[in-house]
Amino acid sequence: MSLFENESGLFSRRLFALGGMQVSLFALLAGRLQYLQISQSDSYATLAEANRVNISELSPARGLITDRDGALLADNDRKLLVELVPEQAKDLDNTLAELQEHLGLSNARVRELRRRIKRGPSFKAIPIAEDVDWDAFAAINLRLPFLPGVSPRIGEKRIYPEGEAVAHVVGYVGDKTAADLRRMGRIVGDTVGRSGVEREFELDLRGTAGVRHVEVNARGRTVRELETNPGQPGQSMALSIDVELQRLVSQRLAGHSGSAVVMDIETGELLAMASVPSFDPNDFSRGVDTRTWEKMLVAERKPLLNKAIRGQYSPGSTFKMLVALAALEAGLVSADDKVTCSGVYHFSGEMFHCWREEGHGPVNMLQAIERSCDTYFYDLALKVGINRIEAMARRFGFGAPTGINLTGEKSGTVPGRDWKRANYDTGWRSGETVITGIGQGYLLTTPLQLAVMTAALANGGKRVTPTLVRAQETTSPPEPLGLAPEHLEVVQQGMYRAVNKPDGTAYASSLLIDGQRMSGKTGTVQVRRISLTEREEGVIPNSELDWHLRDHALFVGYVPHNAPRYAICVVIEHGGGGGQVAAPMARDIMVALLRSQGQKPAADGQPQAMRSSTPGERS
Amino acid sequence: MSYQSQMNRAGWVEHFNDMHKPLFVCVGLLGLIGVMVLYSVAGGDFSPWAWRHGVRIIGGLGLIYALSTIELRSFYVMAYPLFGAVFALLVGVEIFGTKNMGAQRWLDLGFVRLQPSEFMRLALVLALARFYHGMHQNHVSHPLNLIASVAMIAAPCLLVLNQPDLGTSIMIAVTGLSVVFLAGVDLRYFMAGTLTIIAAIPVVWQNMLTYQKERVLVFLNPERDPLGAGYHIIQSKIGIGSGGVFGKGLAQGTQNQLNFLPERHTDFIFSNYAEEMGFFGSLALLVLFILTLFLIFRIANQMRHSFSRLAVASMGFSISIYVIVNLAMVMGLAPVVGVPLPFVSYGGTSLLTFMASIGVILAMERQTMADLPK
Repeated sequence: MSLFENESGLFSRRLFALGGMQVSLFALLAGRLQYLQISQSDSYATLAEANRVNISELSPARGLITDRDGALLADNDRKLLVELVPEQAKDLDNTLAELQEHLGLSNARVRELRRRIKRGPSFKAIPIAEDVDWDAFAAINLRLPFLPGVSPRIGEKRIYPEGEAVAHVVGYVGDKTAADLRRMGRIVGDTVGRSGVEREFELDLRGTAGVRHVEVNARGRTVRELETNPGQPGQSMALSIDVELQRLVSQRLAGHSGSAVVMDIETGELLAMASVPSFDPNDFSRGVDTRTWEKMLVAERKPLLNKAIRGQYSPGSTFKMLVALAALEAGLVSADDKVTCSGVYHFSGEMFHCWREEGHGPVNMLQAIERSCDTYFYDLALKVGINRIEAMARRFGFGAPTGINLTGEKSGTVPGRDWKRANYDTGWRSGETVITGIGQGYLLTTPLQLAVMTAALANGGKRVTPTLVRAQETTSPPEPLGLAPEHLEVVQQGMYRAVNKPDGTAYASSLLIDGQRMSGKTGTVQVRRISLTEREEGVIPNSELDWHLRDHALFVGYVPHNAPRYAICVVIEHGGGGGQVAAPMARDIMVALLRSQGQKPAADGQPQAMRSSTPGERS
Repeated sequence: MSYQSQMNRAGWVEHFNDMHKPLFVCVGLLGLIGVMVLYSVAGGDFSPWAWRHGVRIIGGLGLIYALSTIELRSFYVMAYPLFGAVFALLVGVEIFGTKNMGAQRWLDLGFVRLQPSEFMRLALVLALARFYHGMHQNHVSHPLNLIASVAMIAAPCLLVLNQPDLGTSIMIAVTGLSVVFLAGVDLRYFMAGTLTIIAAIPVVWQNMLTYQKERVLVFLNPERDPLGAGYHIIQSKIGIGSGGVFGKGLAQGTQNQLNFLPERHTDFIFSNYAEEMGFFGSLALLVLFILTLFLIFRIANQMRHSFSRLAVASMGFSISIYVIVNLAMVMGLAPVVGVPLPFVSYGGTSLLTFMASIGVILAMERQTMADLPK
């Protein structure tokens, strides 16, 4: 009877077994649901969020750099660039070939790119080309669906409107490297300051990164923006530099190898600091190729070197003021004491020549500074002794960095007894004191140190800390050197006479603007040994010597003579005589400076005749 | 007295009143949930899926009603011819089928594309139930009968496997075997079969297609291919897990709305539902399925004829296996085998088959007392 086939209960038992199996499976599913949605819910929520949200970093705009009046020295501009993430490229060879065609890359460049791709991690974007022109950029964008891994984007580039003129001061930025990341930790943006102010004030200029959260779909396409923190743009900064003066300085120095510094004697602000020859920082922010770079590094005239802080020269006669001050302070001589110069000074069997072969006759201290008489200072140095000279040099900041806010500053050398023993393991010889008296021998200074010295002589004996930033309260106050005003008065008188008296070594470079004159001191540093035979036959003039054997030309000075404000130091490597080469440059620079200060130049401050009556001079 | 004559007298309304309504309502609710999720999947839009699914659900409920009015004897009589017809369709697919995503599953009739493999489950259940109907318990376990029933199961399975559609093939096999099991075949055969399957695994592995092998390997370790085959499972788990206790809200699921989930309107629809409705919502859906299945099994247990009993229970079991395998798959407990979630997933033929099963079940429920030949 079909109606009661289930009597045995077999079907019910089996149905129950199947049902039981299903119940346990459903229990398993419920347990799984609990595991996924409750136990692990947080970690899955995180994963969903990571799926959904793409976090990208916004590099802040780099701070601008201006001169003291707001003229742009470093500006930002947009650039088109193309990058490649090797990992995402389906066919690297084809991709590179197509990029090469569009961007006009050289075969060498492609080989270099291949090397970089092989070396670097494959998930990291490699810059293929920067400053791409618009047509190529558009063409690549069009081909993008067929070029996976290629990303054309708009980046920021640094431009330096003043180019070579302020290159050593402002410096330049370069693409960040692994070394930068190690040195400074995480860096936002593509570039970091490599030299000059760009490097020194990197942290201020850089600003803080912004973050952009965007919701993306499974294909990575942005669906909407969730939140954006634009970050903090870098701080803009005004330098102490007066760009017009700076431009004039570098123009005036052009063609030579050397540097010039113009400084406010009270605040230490540098109105100009130029080093020639220079380089175009724009080439560097674009990324200079290795060959050009190496050529610049080995060039005889060292365009990459900021000679104002890294060039070290014997100060020559510009050092004589300190010998005089040391003598006056020690009370060993009076300013009126005279020494007779016969053109040669004999000491312990050696002959020391004055630059003026026929000698200066009897000269006192003022005349000795005015005419830069070597004999007087040979004699004075011996009276004062190396210890006092060394101490005075150190008080003026020689032998130590000036503390300017630029890295790489050299200290120079102040020789002395201890220094000699430490470096040469021999005692100090008195003959060495003699030549130190005229700033030669072991003594080495940087042009910036000489400017600081000149400022101290002009401002009543305070050592300022030079700065490239427009006057700010953080500038450390000048340090008084404890010099007697009457002693400084003597030195200042001597410097006034050196420029403004017909017998002065820089008389040809005197200036008169609104009753303001320049005081200063020339220096000519001999870089070769002049033999006795040459002396007898007549010293070969600089113009007939190879460039690297010629004398260094130096000039330090300040304006106005009666109420000093600005100090200057000009050092021209192998330029010849300080009076003939360096002083006229200083004059032109100071004339421009005084005029720009609002003072009308005296129409004919100096009779033409006076200017042309150049006294013969050296040292 | 035939049921048909009863019905003519009772009329359509009374016939509806006579129907087992809880099951009908459960199925309607599941379909409604499908409409809701499909609306959400489309980003809060009835097109392209939700409105079509709604129309199909309404049509399906109509079909249930229509099938439930058919005389029990007709199912009994039609069981073998139906099986033969669907088998012929499967052969037709083999010859004329349309290739779709690497598998030959569709029979394009011009106006509609049919997937005969789905109908096969229903036809096979009816044919096997007919086969075991009235068979004496002593004969059920007879080797010849066993061979006959296994052949009825194996023939369509092999055809579907050849399409190739491993998922549906397994579903047909499991559904067919459930009839054999419920008919009371000696458990020793099942044990022997299980051992044979275990022994056959290496052989089967050798003959599996690369994509099938890959699916199994990726199931065992989804991270093996996180952007390829493993992507489905990983993203699905992220979707479900990130839903948390209360869910992200309808049409608010980020995994869904941002297209991280593939096939989220068909096989992976539960992942989207769980993401947006959370743990409690998911549990509620689970309970609704359990309730539906409980109702079916209770009906099965009340049947007097072994034909009805076996058919109802197996069709219920078939639905439950689909639910379990689909949920296990989207939750990362089973390999991705391309099995839809009954009544909820968007899809034509499978939905039609499930609806038809319910219609047959309700027809049988109504005609418990009807006569069948011994």
